[in-house]
Amino acid sequence: MSEVIKIPELSQLEKGRSLTQDALARLRKNRMAMLGLYFLLALIVIALLTPWIAPYSYEEQNLELGASPPSAQHWLGTDILGRDQLTRIMYGSRISLAVGFIATAVALTIGVLWGAIAGFVGGRTDAVMMRIVDALYALPFTIFIILLTVVFGSSLLLLFLAIGAVEWLTMARIVRGQVLAIKRQEFVEAAISMGLSPARIVSRHLIPNVLGPVIVYTTLTIPSVILLESFLSFLGLGIQPPASSWGSLIASGVEVMEEYVWLLFFPGLILTITLFSLNFLGDGLRDALDPRASRD
Amino acid sequence: MFMFIVRRVLQAIPVLFMVSLVTFIMIRSAPGGPFDEDRAVPPEVIKNLNERYHLDDPLWKQFLDYIANVVQGDLGPSFKYPSHTVNDLIAAGLPATLELSFYALIFALVTGLTAGIIASLKTNSMQDYIPMSAAMVGICMPTFVLGPILLLVFGIWLDWLPVAGWGEIPGDKILPSITLGSVYAAYIARISRGGMLDILSQDYIRTARAKGLSTSRIVFVHALRGGITPVISFLGPAIAGLLAGSFVVESIFQIPGLGRFYVTAAFNRDYTMILGCTIFFAFLIILFNLLADIVLVWLNPKLRQELEARG
Repeated sequence: MSEVIKIPELSQLEKGRSLTQDALARLRKNRMAMLGLYFLLALIVIALLTPWIAPYSYEEQNLELGASPPSAQHWLGTDILGRDQLTRIMYGSRISLAVGFIATAVALTIGVLWGAIAGFVGGRTDAVMMRIVDALYALPFTIFIILLTVVFGSSLLLLFLAIGAVEWLTMARIVRGQVLAIKRQEFVEAAISMGLSPARIVSRHLIPNVLGPVIVYTTLTIPSVILLESFLSFLGLGIQPPASSWGSLIASGVEVMEEYVWLLFFPGLILTITLFSLNFLGDGLRDALDPRASRD
Repeated sequence: MFMFIVRRVLQAIPVLFMVSLVTFIMIRSAPGGPFDEDRAVPPEVIKNLNERYHLDDPLWKQFLDYIANVVQGDLGPSFKYPSHTVNDLIAAGLPATLELSFYALIFALVTGLTAGIIASLKTNSMQDYIPMSAAMVGICMPTFVLGPILLLVFGIWLDWLPVAGWGEIPGDKILPSITLGSVYAAYIARISRGGMLDILSQDYIRTARAKGLSTSRIVFVHALRGGITPVISFLGPAIAGLLAGSFVVESIFQIPGLGRFYVTAAFNRDYTMILGCTIFFAFLIILFNLLADIVLVWLNPKLRQELEARG
């Protein structure tokens, strides 16, 4: 009971920080999330610059060398055709990351539009739209994507669209929930009573308030998309040779892992670290943007 | 409660119908007929095959015929192995897949709940950090990385466990079950920790503590039932995930299960097999979601009362 209530010093009060600055400050304190962020930024830069900075060319074989363990010339070793593994992982990251980002963008677009419309219009439209989402939740999606690759043959475009088309459901639910909650808040009622146009209400009040959860969930969707693509490529149903993603590199590493363990180890490691970073960043963003949200 | 079950079952029927319809249309719209091979097939053979599988009928009639058979539990013949029906192939692969998923689930529940409960009782101590970091690794490490690594370490380097097969050598079920279950063990650990923390901060737990009950009695008699409800609602989706995960685990450990058959069918473009399996998987997933929902209601007296009030 005798606890002293700390009064912030006047200078601190005067400064005044925006919510965004506040969130960024919270994120910066989360060491794991920041490590993840730096790793991802480095990975993206390397993936973008790969054609210029890769130590060898993608196709370059050295059959005499064959599979060799990591060495000064080949930092991560070579595969059975004598191809430099670092180079192949770098090119693979371009595909894995591209699928991750583009398919997530597809999921984001569908999910946000669907959820926003359902939440904003409400009533019967909302009920029907959300029943559709409920029904789709019950479907075996991995199986559906395998089916799609069988029917249309696997191409990068198909992977973007198919994975995006199945990952939007949770996003739609989150956005709808947010929109419904915000719609009932007094400041929106005030805006309506002041005669603001719906477009202005959406852009000025709804979108900024929905943005936080959307950013967080997007960060958490990217790893599951990357994982799904790797899963398909591992089964041989995703990226087709000669192109390779992390998943197909892992698959070919598994075939020879008894003799050449580095061919399994390094692609597996880079995939795991990437997923790790994205998950930590997502958790960190959630804590930073929405301090009230509980973890799990 | 009975009405709730009936209503949920009735909801599942249109979903299954839609799955069948969409799958059917997709399979039929595939470019190139199912009999497209590299070698030229004589036109008479194609004609016979078309007649055999009624490919000349209008599409809607084919679909209705197919659905009528599916309702009777007949998924038709396999395109690639004409001597086998899809039912045969599913019956051959299903036991291994179900057994594998079952063991994986048991492993996930036992390790996940143990870790989660201990972590929730000792928050912010080593008994919390270590299992929760391990859970993060478990979530981030894909099955197809973990499986080969376990296989390499325990099967080849240490030579403790068999590397392949299912039910042939004693112990050959251990590695696949752990591989498949680890991701879910990790999720269950995190979810049960969160659920237990919510419950442990409730007033009635404080009352129990004040009465001087032992920790084990508080945990097992008072807290666990409420604390694991989030885990139960996770089980529905988890079982769907286990089935999908079995694809990878079955190909790594060469287990003759349904997942491996499905992937083979996908490679062979065995259209009826894919169609039948997809519908069957959807059926399984809807069934397990339904079971999870029922258990959830049964465990939670509040939900039960709500349902009874609604009739």
